[in-house]
Amino acid sequence: MRSTPPDGGAPPACRRSFPVSSLQEANSENIAALPKQAAKPQISVGRKIFHFLISMKLALTLLFVIAILSIIGTILPQGQDVWASDWPKSPLFDFYNTLGLFNMYYSWWFLSVLGLLVLSLSACIFNRMPTTVKHVFKPRVDVKDAFVANQPQAASIAGGAAAAVAVLRRHHYRVKKGATGSVLAQKGRFSSLASVTFHLSFLLIAAGAVLGGLFGFDYQLTVPNGQIVNVPHSNMQAESHGFDMQFSGKALLDDGRTVEVNSTDAASQSQCLGSNGWWDGTEGICWVRGVNDGGNIVSAFDPRPSRYSTSLELFQNGKSISRKTIQVNDPLELNGINFYQESFSQDNQGGAVSILEVNHYPGKTLVYIGAFLMMGSITLALYFPNRRIWLKAGKSGELLIGGRTNRSRLGFKRDFERITTEIKLRTGQEAGADG
Amino acid sequence: MVEFEEIFFIVTVLTYLVASGVYIWHLIANSKKAGQLGTMLLVLGLFAHTMALIFRWVDSGHAPMSNSYESLAVFSWGIVLFYLIMERVYSIRAAGAVVVPTAFIIASIALVLNNGPEPLVPALQSYWLWIHVSIAMLSYGFFALAFGAGFFYIVQEHLLKKHYQNVVIAFVIMLAVIGLAVGLWLGFGAWAHPLDVVNPVTHETSKQYSGTDILKIIGGGAIGLVIGIAAGFLAGKGASKPGFAKRLPSLDVLDEVSYRAIAFGFPMVTIGIITGAIWADKAWGRYWSWDPKETWSLITWLFYGAYLHTRLTWGWRGRHSAVIAVLGIVIVLFTYLGVNYLLSGLHSYATA
Repeated sequence: MRSTPPDGGAPPACRRSFPVSSLQEANSENIAALPKQAAKPQISVGRKIFHFLISMKLALTLLFVIAILSIIGTILPQGQDVWASDWPKSPLFDFYNTLGLFNMYYSWWFLSVLGLLVLSLSACIFNRMPTTVKHVFKPRVDVKDAFVANQPQAASIAGGAAAAVAVLRRHHYRVKKGATGSVLAQKGRFSSLASVTFHLSFLLIAAGAVLGGLFGFDYQLTVPNGQIVNVPHSNMQAESHGFDMQFSGKALLDDGRTVEVNSTDAASQSQCLGSNGWWDGTEGICWVRGVNDGGNIVSAFDPRPSRYSTSLELFQNGKSISRKTIQVNDPLELNGINFYQESFSQDNQGGAVSILEVNHYPGKTLVYIGAFLMMGSITLALYFPNRRIWLKAGKSGELLIGGRTNRSRLGFKRDFERITTEIKLRTGQEAGADG
Repeated sequence: MVEFEEIFFIVTVLTYLVASGVYIWHLIANSKKAGQLGTMLLVLGLFAHTMALIFRWVDSGHAPMSNSYESLAVFSWGIVLFYLIMERVYSIRAAGAVVVPTAFIIASIALVLNNGPEPLVPALQSYWLWIHVSIAMLSYGFFALAFGAGFFYIVQEHLLKKHYQNVVIAFVIMLAVIGLAVGLWLGFGAWAHPLDVVNPVTHETSKQYSGTDILKIIGGGAIGLVIGIAAGFLAGKGASKPGFAKRLPSLDVLDEVSYRAIAFGFPMVTIGIITGAIWADKAWGRYWSWDPKETWSLITWLFYGAYLHTRLTWGWRGRHSAVIAVLGIVIVLFTYLGVNYLLSGLHSYATA
């Protein structure tokens, strides 16, 4: 039960829900392989389930359901946030909570829909892979006259095969000659295969996400300055040797201009003034001008953190095993466990407290492989469409030429017309040169 | 430096405004002189625009991609540059009557949202940001193009059937939606001044809008809606002439352009989402956290993925595809704007 999309080329991953014969452009390379609509034998339950899974209708319905459900999670607060949000803790709240709406991306029903999509995708890929591999690596080169004439783009022209091959090569087509004198010229050979690997990459990402979900962990770790805390899910301890923060802000200069300024570390007021800085009374913050600004700072305002970092040391069995100054975008990684600078706060005494994100995701490599495969294959699949042109000498000396594409039909039509015109021209020139 | 940047950007916006008028005049009057004048103005505007961006870059010390003003300024710059190249290659000046006003609207919103350069918060200091934002904006541009072609497909279909009433309705609905979006956007981004409220437990900032703010936002939306409906009525009436169908590309071409724009935009939105995830992984160690912006970009991705399946597998063409391409822009707009202003999340620092 395989069918071909109206754009031609390899059959789709999932099945259309209506029979091919109802389509106007059902002329395909493997139309002969279509089963007769004769008396249907009993279909097994397994086969029925398989057919259900590979139907395009199911796949599109699932995409639609996932999109709609996802919206809920962007409106209602999720996870930890819900307890801090101003949602009244009413019976409605309890009802939503029971349904899992406050943790919906991890609720059993949302994960079930994702799981069903993964099943459907796997079935589609399994269904399509053999045909696509055959279509890409063993394309039909030897074809009958009627096959060429029945292509979406077809013409019968006065032209020589040699001239045609030369023109097609000049248009960057790869030419393959068959045993019976017919020729196949192709562009974007791997488009259909890339479409399959694109769907496959989705499965890799899903597998990585499942691994991470089952065996990984992810939590916030609060480390006050100079204290040692246990790192949960590991036998390590973490110590902060100091939290450092730098600011950017604006400053008013004595000549009336407003400029961008940065803070530097300065232990005291005299140290700050000694480095031509401006002291706003906050300990540790000294405002300095840019090199070309000139003038003197009268006041500084609008400070924003521009960099914050923690000098972090890890211990195991009382021994130091790693030390690094971590900052946002630059974590400490050890044995698959990552320590990220997430944010900061202050303790009761006004001391700095570093808030770290600690996590361990075993499937991350798989996710990255899937992500790069996805970017590569979708680009290949859509930017380099497959174009196939067959050539065959007709019975009365004319040249039969016909072709199809799996993507843009109008673009191919233009290309095809240009090629046939050039073949005619070139054949004419060659005939002129001979004579 | 800031002054130079502002002057250049004001010159840019004014030039685009005049150029918009000239391009529309060119389409209506079919005057070649007007077309040449429009191109000249547009080149001039692009020069000023480039200067403004260079000053901004030098002044802030980072690529201009960190807030609404900067990304919109770069976006409109990209539209004009892309269009001028297309005009040179395909000589399609008629399209300028739609593209140039679009660039003008985007650039003028950028002008209103401009707060001067700001230092980057730590999480934004990564080169993945530059790749992520520019590719995401580019994909939005292609989806906007698909929307435009899909819209004119619907208009052309009604024009050919001489259903002029439907042509007017189509224009009114389209410009009403755009007017409403632009009005709400200005209301949220420029006129309202919400307070930043920090949640004591989660340390997350959320915005608190006062009654006046809400009034300003609703007012902005209402004004945009009224202007959109009026402009849509005028444009629809203007287009409802037998001769106008000949000025538009054929149904086949519009269908193809809409499809190809989506086929071009889809890999980009895929790469945009993935580079965003890689960036999040580098910054926070989580590649996906179901943050509203992530989720909505996933919805956009699913939507256009579904479009491609209906087309490549089911063989949908013409009006069906055009309607999906038109609806898609609502999701794109919400992903780009609605999420920043209406839903909170990690991306909220991207609001101006």
